[in-house]
Amino acid sequence: MPSSVVHAALAAALAVGLLGRFYDRRAIAVVLVVVVIPEADTALGLVMAGAHRTVLHTMALPAVVAPLLYWETTRDGSVLRGRWGARGVRIAWVGLLVHTFAHVALDWTHLEGINLLWPAVDRFFALEGEMYLSTSEGFVQTFVDVGRDPETGRSVIDAGQGGTRAETHVSNPAQPDPEPEPDPGPVDRRFPIAVRGWQLHVLLTGAFAVLARRLQSDRLDP
Amino acid sequence: MVAVSGFMSIGLDHAIMPPTPVAVAVGVLLAVALLGPAFDRRSVAIVAAAAAAPDLDLVFALVGPGGPNATLHTAFVPVLATAALYYDTRIRGTSRVADRYGPYGVRVAWVAVAALAVAGVGVDAFSSEGVALLYPLSDRYYAIVGGFLLSTQDGVVQTYVTVADGGVGVSSPGTLDTHAIPSPLAPGGERRFRIVETGEQAVLVATALVALPAKWLVERRDRSTEARC
Repeated sequence: MPSSVVHAALAAALAVGLLGRFYDRRAIAVVLVVVVIPEADTALGLVMAGAHRTVLHTMALPAVVAPLLYWETTRDGSVLRGRWGARGVRIAWVGLLVHTFAHVALDWTHLEGINLLWPAVDRFFALEGEMYLSTSEGFVQTFVDVGRDPETGRSVIDAGQGGTRAETHVSNPAQPDPEPEPDPGPVDRRFPIAVRGWQLHVLLTGAFAVLARRLQSDRLDP
Repeated sequence: MVAVSGFMSIGLDHAIMPPTPVAVAVGVLLAVALLGPAFDRRSVAIVAAAAAAPDLDLVFALVGPGGPNATLHTAFVPVLATAALYYDTRIRGTSRVADRYGPYGVRVAWVAVAALAVAGVGVDAFSSEGVALLYPLSDRYYAIVGGFLLSTQDGVVQTYVTVADGGVGVSSPGTLDTHAIPSPLAPGGERRFRIVETGEQAVLVATALVALPAKWLVERRDRSTEARC
């Protein structure tokens, strides 16, 4: 997992603009809580093998929640709208968006990836590849490779799929991977804040967006 | 020294130079965050263009001095742009930007300068190919790469910036003479225009593509509410 700090920074950058006229300290606090919630499945990993990156790191959740949220907020007698008004509806949609993009999609690219369609399909997927236009090959993308098995002649699709929930353990500070060699020392738990240049850049960009927004007025008054 | 488990090993960047569409995506995210009441098709296009502009030094490198990630990726470009805009809007009696384009123009200009620095130069500065941050004063490329983590054994570990001999340093992949940056315009056989080169970059671009229509819906709703009030 890119650290919760990186997830929170990207979520903040998105929330600054998308909360619109409902942007304030409380609204952004709710969005930041929502974006780190999926890490709760790390705790579940202590009792359910492979729960981390499975139970809450799945695209099945936003796929189900989005239509439900649309239905609930557009019907007569909507509980969310009745209780919290347009502000609650806006925060709910921004929360769903940052959950999907700033957390689950970002983890999809990292290590063994996420259990993309769990519980419908129990299979980890890692998003890896590149995309370019070439003068000799035209448009090329390697995120999803469609090839042919040389022995059986059947077509094979490689979208970065790995093992199932029971087979896959994604290392995390609560349950680090065992050391490669038996080490006499104590287990080292490492809590990354930013790793690689781009993560630090995302972190600083999120902080910049929040600070810059504070300097701005809400209206374009001369 | 305790062995470092895989995902927390640091400083292992591949040779990565984020393609222009990634800088544009970060520029679009800034436009969504900061344009506010000035958000429209034209202002988003201006901010996105500012994010892409530094990559034009690939073209200049073919005809003149300087080089890719140097001529326009220097810190002097955003610093001079900020100074000029600050002088025009705050120090001079009458602002040329405000006179001509109104408060809309002032807001768009500031967000464009931010995109120039954070997206145009910043995205490349935090990649292993680096940027010549002090060009033309210095030919050296600088790359802010590394890691920052908390360890139960080693405490705070930070490798982006090294402090030694009374100076502060970041890693450098070389100078204009020694560090060759691949260019799609360089003479040769196959030419590649790279769109994204890692999964993370693909997610950033996808996020920007979703944030744009989302912001459009948000602004339409917010402005119609304000008009009614």
